[in-house]
Amino acid sequence: MTTRQRLDLLAHAYPRLFPRAELVRLLRTQLGHIDALDNWFKRDGVRLRARAPKLLYHVCAGNLVVSAQTSIGLGLLLGSHNIVKLPGDRDDASTRTEILRFIKGLPAPLRKLVETHRTLDAKTLQQADVVIAFGSDATMATLRAQTRWNQKFIAHGHALSLLWISEPNQLTPALARNCATDILTYDQLGCLSPQAIYVPRGTNIGSLGDKLASAMEQQWKKITPKPSRPLSIASKICEARDVAHALGHRVWLPPGKHLGWTIIHDPDTTFQPSPLHGVIYLRQVAEAKLSTALASVAGRISTVGIAGEFSAGGISSRLENVFLSLGVSRLCPAGRMQYPPLTWHHEGRPVLADLVTWIDSE
Amino acid sequence: MKIAKLTDFSQTSVRKAWIRRLLEPISETTWDELAREIFAWQFASVPAFRRLSLAHGVTPKSLKSWSDIPAVPQQLFKREKLFAYPKPQAATIYETSGTTTGQPGRQHLLSTDIYRAVSVEAAQRVGPLNNNAQLHFLTPSPSEARQSSLSAMFGFWQKHSDQPGSSFWLHKDQFDFDGLREALIQAIAKQQPVALCGTAFSFVHLIDAWADLPCLTLPSGSWILETGGFKGRSREIAKDELYAHLAQLFTVPNYAIWNEYGMSELSSQAYAHGTHGLHGTPPWTRVLVCDPATGREVALGQHGLIRWYDLANVDSVFALQTLDLAERTPLGFRLIGRLPRTEPRGCSLSAEDLAVSQAAHSLESIA
Repeated sequence: MTTRQRLDLLAHAYPRLFPRAELVRLLRTQLGHIDALDNWFKRDGVRLRARAPKLLYHVCAGNLVVSAQTSIGLGLLLGSHNIVKLPGDRDDASTRTEILRFIKGLPAPLRKLVETHRTLDAKTLQQADVVIAFGSDATMATLRAQTRWNQKFIAHGHALSLLWISEPNQLTPALARNCATDILTYDQLGCLSPQAIYVPRGTNIGSLGDKLASAMEQQWKKITPKPSRPLSIASKICEARDVAHALGHRVWLPPGKHLGWTIIHDPDTTFQPSPLHGVIYLRQVAEAKLSTALASVAGRISTVGIAGEFSAGGISSRLENVFLSLGVSRLCPAGRMQYPPLTWHHEGRPVLADLVTWIDSE
Repeated sequence: MKIAKLTDFSQTSVRKAWIRRLLEPISETTWDELAREIFAWQFASVPAFRRLSLAHGVTPKSLKSWSDIPAVPQQLFKREKLFAYPKPQAATIYETSGTTTGQPGRQHLLSTDIYRAVSVEAAQRVGPLNNNAQLHFLTPSPSEARQSSLSAMFGFWQKHSDQPGSSFWLHKDQFDFDGLREALIQAIAKQQPVALCGTAFSFVHLIDAWADLPCLTLPSGSWILETGGFKGRSREIAKDELYAHLAQLFTVPNYAIWNEYGMSELSSQAYAHGTHGLHGTPPWTRVLVCDPATGREVALGQHGLIRWYDLANVDSVFALQTLDLAERTPLGFRLIGRLPRTEPRGCSLSAEDLAVSQAAHSLESIA
């Protein structure tokens, strides 16, 4: 099967997750040619051909199905055999179910390239050309220790994301909705989910909180099915609310105090992780002090969503430099945080080019 | 609707009178009155508690039932000084271990008088403490661990029981298990009942240290008291396995092994005996098993989070919301343990992950 055939099958099966045009762009930008895996092509006078890994081993996390779907999809685009280590029993079974449903929905020629495992198979893991893993830092360290020295290991450990609202006093309902989309998509569980909203000094926090609260409730109403709130999650949300109340922080709660979302204005500018599940911290900081506020998570910030005139340089170059110096690997408009294009550099790395090797014919 | 008078707990005479009232028989009506009294005091004198109560729409004037009083999350003791007095310094500060987030919680006490009185009384009324047993503690002494409420409590017990030979067997982070064994052998020779008290992890160290030694047969009337978790300080073993080991090692029945359930943020404790025993609480406390989403008690047989109301905790906040999971039963609660981190795991950074990563970073910096 050629790359074009696999591309067509993938795009046909999951057009929203793998739009055809984006797959073509991905191959062109990251491999140089759409047929780079099947035929020689010339670049700078040299004949080149990409070689796909024969065996890819995907270690999926229990929090998010989309990272697993994308990872498997890219492996299929390359034509590799894909072994998928499903999330373990200690995790919520819904992610595992969704991964299996995704695999089941693949066309037969692609489905036969996927094999699922319930437990980690160290021997098979060592046989893989490339291991792609999602999860905690501890999981990454454990897996790395099991890999061969000459094995590609692409680790996606702990990361977090933020929203920056450039002109909060002029926040439009549409921009507020975009922020709410970023926060509530996937129940805030992914590393692209913002855990805090930073705003510049001089922001009218009361008015901003009201606008965001209204947008959050609208967004929450649209979500079906609603994410579950078992005891372990409910307790974290309620704890965050009560701690904030006791500290005298301003708290915005949904009507009837349902557990869908919570906005907390924390006057402390220093980043603190959110308990997730719709709990977002609003922090006000002078641009000059943003670096200090985020110092504890420097190198771990994946995406910064910008609510403002993003495309027209809505953030100052000084602010942009602050984010770059903190190791941020992606800036995007608010509302797009959870939907990076397939061509993005996940944690700064090219998602497809990272997987292949090259043959040069001089 | 009753509005409680405002008692000033900084007065020594008031504190003495309060202790007397707590230790007297307490009817439901009296309990309600005492709860209103302490709530009025702490609402007036602990700003964080007042803010939380107001956020829940509860004030001393509007209070319908003591169970409507909101409980402060345990986490708050890590973020805020919860001390009911304008004085800058508390006489005693007890610290929690801070193992989960790396930051300890602090309990500030104006005086240890009430803690001393109720921790001895509770252990006698619903726990195993009596004046017959020689007490052996697998913890540092109160003078060596001034910030430990557990060491303090054991110190109160030691003073109260006044049994010769009672001792602390953890010095400068080193267990003196040889010394303990010698003391136990002497007690056995005299048929002197003994009590062994320590944290779960200290007992694991003891079991490991004595793995190759013969078991001891403790005299009749002896008991063992285990408290707290493992907190990464030893290998972890299940409670029933731990109790089975202890029962074998010391030749005591399962019911002679007690669990103490308490915390630095409170003044009172609950006790259970045997592997599956229900926890009993002293009459000046109430424990509710609550659903955090509704704030109300769960139905009988259901699981929820433990919420304490401890009338002895006058110096900080008497209503405490824990993250400890329990089953509500008709006769009390069955402690299941710390609420497990059961949400889906993945790449998103949590507070616990950040604390671990910062701790690792600071260790690297030191190295």
